Amino acid sequence: MNDSSIQSNFPTLNKRKSIEEFVYFDNACTTLRPKSVINAMNKYYEEYSVCGERSLHKLGKMVSDKVHETRSLVARLIDARKEEIVFTRNTTESINFVAYSIDWKKGDVVLTSDKEHNSNLLPWIRLSAKLGTVHAVVKSDSNGSIDLLYLKELLEKYNGKVKLVAVTLSSNLDGITNPVLEIARLGHRYGALILVDAAQGLPHQSVSVKKFDVDFLAFSGHKMLGPSGTGVLYGKKKLLEEFEPFMIGGGTVVKSTYNSYCLENIPERFEAGLQDYAGIIGLGEAVKFIQKVGYKEIARRDLELNKYITDYLCSIERVHIIGANEPEKRGGIISFYVDGADSHMIALMLDEANIMVRSGQLCVHSWFSDKDIQGAIRVSAYFYNTLEEAEYFTKTLSNILKAV
Amino acid sequence: MACIIALIVFSIMGLFSATHRQLAREAFDCVFRRVTFRPCNTGFKEKIRGRIIGKLLKRSVALAKFSNKYFEVFAWIFFLLTVASTGYTIKGGYNFYRYGSCNGLNQGGFCAFDPTGKNNATSSVADGSCPIKQPTTKDLTLSAVDLELFQSKKADSKNDLVFVGCYSCDYTRKAYPVVKKLLEKENINYTFIHFSVKNENENFPLYVYAASKIDQEKYWRLNDLFFEASKEDLQSQEKIDKMVIKVGYDLQVIKDEAQKETTKQAVQKQIEEIRKTHIYGTPTVFINGRSIVGPKPYRVYKLMLR
Repeated sequence: MNDSSIQSNFPTLNKRKSIEEFVYFDNACTTLRPKSVINAMNKYYEEYSVCGERSLHKLGKMVSDKVHETRSLVARLIDARKEEIVFTRNTTESINFVAYSIDWKKGDVVLTSDKEHNSNLLPWIRLSAKLGTVHAVVKSDSNGSIDLLYLKELLEKYNGKVKLVAVTLSSNLDGITNPVLEIARLGHRYGALILVDAAQGLPHQSVSVKKFDVDFLAFSGHKMLGPSGTGVLYGKKKLLEEFEPFMIGGGTVVKSTYNSYCLENIPERFEAGLQDYAGIIGLGEAVKFIQKVGYKEIARRDLELNKYITDYLCSIERVHIIGANEPEKRGGIISFYVDGADSHMIALMLDEANIMVRSGQLCVHSWFSDKDIQGAIRVSAYFYNTLEEAEYFTKTLSNILKAV
Repeated sequence: MACIIALIVFSIMGLFSATHRQLAREAFDCVFRRVTFRPCNTGFKEKIRGRIIGKLLKRSVALAKFSNKYFEVFAWIFFLLTVASTGYTIKGGYNFYRYGSCNGLNQGGFCAFDPTGKNNATSSVADGSCPIKQPTTKDLTLSAVDLELFQSKKADSKNDLVFVGCYSCDYTRKAYPVVKKLLEKENINYTFIHFSVKNENENFPLYVYAASKIDQEKYWRLNDLFFEASKEDLQSQEKIDKMVIKVGYDLQVIKDEAQKETTKQAVQKQIEEIRKTHIYGTPTVFINGRSIVGPKPYRVYKLMLR
């Protein structure tokens, strides 16, 4: 697929007459949605907007079939089994689901990296305050990925007490991907469960939960072309079966009496209440779209754009890229800060030129506080971004840096 | 400083838009932090700066660079201008309340509260001659004027009101009901001077004088009728005659009195006396010696009373 054929699938991009009208480089926050996703959701609302999985009529069956299809698509995408896919609202909910469901004992340890999004940090901090668990942070190495030696040290130090290692696949701060395979091996060796926050990683790289041997994997639909309000928690079947649903009600039980109930099988027992069918159907279309483009192509485009922008940024003395300088290590993300200039200010100046980027502490406040850095500007590209857009960005930023 | 400016600007704009209300809240938070000696770390200032410099950048990099470099200086300048303009606005509001004009008593110029300037509007008394010096508000005076020559209502009051107006003039006709209301509500020594500045029936001033000389009580009723009548009616001898008859005068007696040479001389004397006031337009109202030019709101006249 070339630039124009890819972009023609995105109504937001189609509307513009020139790139000066709209350049979207905030894909790490949320991506744009292709027509197929929007159409699928519209079709649900227009043609069969009924209850799925409980109503046996024809339209109900259509909804159930679509939901099952999406579950299968998602399962295939991450190399999991259908019943291991739980639909949630987003990554945050998926991680909280795990935090609430594991049977914690006082003194149990949770290890995270030092670059976790608040969604994979706050639940563990709260857990320590409420239940007396211990939360410890594994520092990153000089390449910006988790320091495996330090991880091993901590696993040894807590000797069997580490119940969970919860790490991001790719950091939303700098795009650097953690060696999940090694982390999982190491963690399992010390009896820990492995939770991977793949919100930022899965949209850009293929993931096999079998290959990685992770116990839980969480991601959001909206960061990978899907609708907002859709998320997924993958959990190993035997682990999910042990979990007590933290929310029960309609759709989670086979039957109930006035004083007892019998839970549904997994994953339905975790999906309480009427589901966001349109969103789930849209998510299925998003998965199809990503598979159509292909991870290889996505990675190629990420690198091309990242390299172009990185080369420009590296040529400016006042600019500091967060994470490794090598673009191939950072997926579609280029986060940087400028000496003597506020990140929000630069982002708003870019916005005046219709270039949309993210600024501030990027939901990784802990890292910025630790490093005493005020904030950063994050440019995050996706496969529908073009070199022309990157050129426009660098040209505009160049003018901004002359002014500030 | 930028936060203070933003607070003022967005507070005003916030009256009309919810978006600006939110910005006003952010600006207030920033200002509040400053006045409580805490750092303004809300990022608000940077946001405002980013937006402004970003817009300038689209026009000129040099201009954006210059503005960014001296942003704080500009903020201070705008702050001082805002303080000054706020002061002027308050002063203008006070003047409008007190004198019916933002610029002070009898002062022209633009006034936001009276954009058409109707409170200062007058019918010019210029007679086509070219005086050496145009009269101004400062020249207005009653000190050399013999008010005994004019019709008055003594009320044994410490307040004196002299109304110089013209029956056929729009602005006098606008001011008259307001002054009349004041006279009804307050105890005031009142003198009315008709000063014809429009083309009126040539007999009109003579009739007025004759009527006042023959019967004072009926004259004041006739005075009211003249202001109630249309301007066209005041051009018509027939209509004037009817009004004279309506208030109870004997028309022939009035006509005879008006034709007398003494009446003509008296009217001429009145005109000469009026010229001594140096009025330049009607209506001009003197309250306790202070002049008020143009039709003012009721409160302005009321506030001039002792």
